Amino acid sequence: MSNIEQFPPTAHISLALQRRSNKRLQQYSDDEIFAYLADTIYKERRRIEEQGQRDAPPVYLKALQTASRAIKRDRNAMTTSLMKLVDVYTQEIHNHFSPSTYKIASKVLPGALARLLTSAQPSQLLGVDFDPGSRIVMQGPVDKLRKLAKNHTLLYTPTHLSNLDSPLIGYALMAAKLPPVIYGAGLNLFSNPLMSFFMSRLGAYTVDRRKKNLLYKDVLKDYSIESFQRGFHTLFFPGGTRARSGKIESKLKKGLLGTAITAWQESLQAGQNKELLVVPCSLSFSLTLEAETLINDALSEEGKSRFIISDDEFSEARTVASFTRKTLNLDASVFLRFGEPLDVVGNQVDAQGSSVDPHGAPINRRDYVCNRYGQVALDPQRDQMYTHRLAERIITSFRANHIALSTQVAAFAAWQMLCRRHPLLDDVQRSALRPDERRLPRIELLQTIERIAKQIKKLQKNNQICSALPGNAANILQDALQRFAGFHRSRCLAVRGDQIEVGSKLALYYGNRLTGYGLEELTR
Amino acid sequence: MNIGIIGSGKWTKALATLVAEAGNHPRIGYLEKPLPGFPGSPNLASVAKESDLLFLAVPPKNMRQTILQAKLGPANHILIAARGLEPQTGNWLSDVITQESAACRIGVLGGPVLPDEVFHRRPTAIVAASHYAEVRKRAQRAIHSAICRLYTSSDLRGVELASSMVEALTIALGLADSLEQGIGVRGVIVTRGIAEVTRLGDKLGANAHSFAGLAGIGELVSCAPKHPGYIAGRNLGMGKTISQDRQNNLKAMLALASQHQVELPLIEAVTAIALGKLRPRLAIDSLMRREATAELI
Repeated sequence: MSNIEQFPPTAHISLALQRRSNKRLQQYSDDEIFAYLADTIYKERRRIEEQGQRDAPPVYLKALQTASRAIKRDRNAMTTSLMKLVDVYTQEIHNHFSPSTYKIASKVLPGALARLLTSAQPSQLLGVDFDPGSRIVMQGPVDKLRKLAKNHTLLYTPTHLSNLDSPLIGYALMAAKLPPVIYGAGLNLFSNPLMSFFMSRLGAYTVDRRKKNLLYKDVLKDYSIESFQRGFHTLFFPGGTRARSGKIESKLKKGLLGTAITAWQESLQAGQNKELLVVPCSLSFSLTLEAETLINDALSEEGKSRFIISDDEFSEARTVASFTRKTLNLDASVFLRFGEPLDVVGNQVDAQGSSVDPHGAPINRRDYVCNRYGQVALDPQRDQMYTHRLAERIITSFRANHIALSTQVAAFAAWQMLCRRHPLLDDVQRSALRPDERRLPRIELLQTIERIAKQIKKLQKNNQICSALPGNAANILQDALQRFAGFHRSRCLAVRGDQIEVGSKLALYYGNRLTGYGLEELTR
Repeated sequence: MNIGIIGSGKWTKALATLVAEAGNHPRIGYLEKPLPGFPGSPNLASVAKESDLLFLAVPPKNMRQTILQAKLGPANHILIAARGLEPQTGNWLSDVITQESAACRIGVLGGPVLPDEVFHRRPTAIVAASHYAEVRKRAQRAIHSAICRLYTSSDLRGVELASSMVEALTIALGLADSLEQGIGVRGVIVTRGIAEVTRLGDKLGANAHSFAGLAGIGELVSCAPKHPGYIAGRNLGMGKTISQDRQNNLKAMLALASQHQVELPLIEAVTAIALGKLRPRLAIDSLMRREATAELI
């Protein structure tokens, strides 16, 4: 497979994406091209009007202006202006990636990241011997992935909790001696200069989620297909955004995920033997940097005007540093568990990358898309359904490979006990209870934790969940209290004599990670 | 098109007749003895491999075994021509296929097709539901003819659920006739039965229109004295028992409803009678004495 260092310059990518766009436009009628361009101009003008011109580079404003004039003219003028917009978008998306700096950064970064994770002093970024790899626990078929990565393009699809996810996974892959990946990162993430430095040099490309126009979405998809075609291992979060409520993703965005099957069919049509495999990954943090903001956001959706969303913790460099130092200085704080790799239709694959059926028997995956003469038969509706199937399998893998941690179990038990005490209140109302109404007898909480831990063990035996829980219920609660102490502005769980006070919003957030496993009944 | 049909008996013959009527070549995959008048093979895997569309017309209890024997895979386009849940597990038949094979282009048939009427070339209609447009198109090409209109639907779960519930509701119709409850009660069973299935369908993400379609109301309205479910219901009313498979299907429906916390009073009553837990007249009495409620708020 191609090395990320060979990633082509922006001009090459731009030409490739323009070719793809042009091909698409050829199938459009004049009216459809008009509508396509009008959608871009309208949505972008409106966005720029609302958000101001600060972030819009002059070249982009000029391209939009040209497009506005072209829309009144003929098909050729509209196509040319669309191509210009594709070029501008490509510059933006591909902008931060530099093969030469990546090469240097890949040598310097382990030490620099290690320093960030231990001292958070930017002046001491170089020359350390601490190994943060030992703090990130990696599980799953790592050896199998190393072998598969040699002959196949891998698409990692992790759960998404925090903005730290992508750099952490990038680093974890490096530590596991897995080849580096390219990944899409929201434009907002580049606002933190320290993280921006790391991300862009670890293969991040820019995704501006504020741009909702069809052309931009198509360019992003084409960029993804082009990357697969060129054999670059890729990472993207199929949930689309960080899980606001803390729950494991149960719905995935199918747009980018669907590019996998498109790229695979293109390579079959071109007679290439490039196969693309999907690797679901489950991330589990004992603490989440942005927990307070995220749960506030989730509750604001539920409670509408009762909550105002505050600034994200990720935008504060000091907070990030303090969090990483705290989290990673505790043993076993971050878990990354790889699921079994899947083909683009959602079947598991063996050690050689061949697809297998539910009984482990080999199948010819080309039969999904080829007719009886072995030719690829294109069918977008069918591919949509295949992507839907793949998404379902990824979700199943997320749940089965989720690692239950003490903070999640303790928070889940406490939140469920609060629910039982206040059955008529909704989550928003429960989160607004007075502190004295949120206190639980320690002994009862321990009993509940014990029942949940037992059930998790049973589920683990059936491969329905994974666990890294310490010993008995007392150990679990002690470990959770220790981890919760000190980082968040409000406490998730705090000892008050022989009672435990529940910081309800955070308990809801951390406990939500365990919803859907049927554990609720055990808290009665 | 080459159409494979795995099954035996009148229903398989009716399907083969419809397929031939539409100008296609049916080939029967049989388990015990060949079907007279149609080419066939006991080698289910070869029938499956050579078919552009494969009908599975075996009873739900034999579905899993048949799938394994037919060695279904990625290339297959499949239509389930059986109704009900898998009695042993309560699983949807479409799920049984994905549990046992890598096939995913699956659809399901539903509607008021009665074999004897097909043999007499009487007009009928059927619905083929699948998430895959190509399966729907192939189904239409396989069956749509001068004697059978084939309608398509993308609501696989809705049609699968409607067919399963109809199986239970036809028992209720036969039972009511056997107990001479009058013609009015048929209307009650059909409408309240559909109300029950709609409640459950809502939880399962099915489209309510499917229950008003061929696989739901269509089949219930045409429930004739020769309908197997109806016959089973009549027998039940006369104090006889119904087959273990039918009992298991009823239990599986109730388990599904309980899992989704949906009440199915009519199906519950039929099940209680079928399992010998409640006398029919007592069941009717308890249904009538349920708390008064609204049809529409």
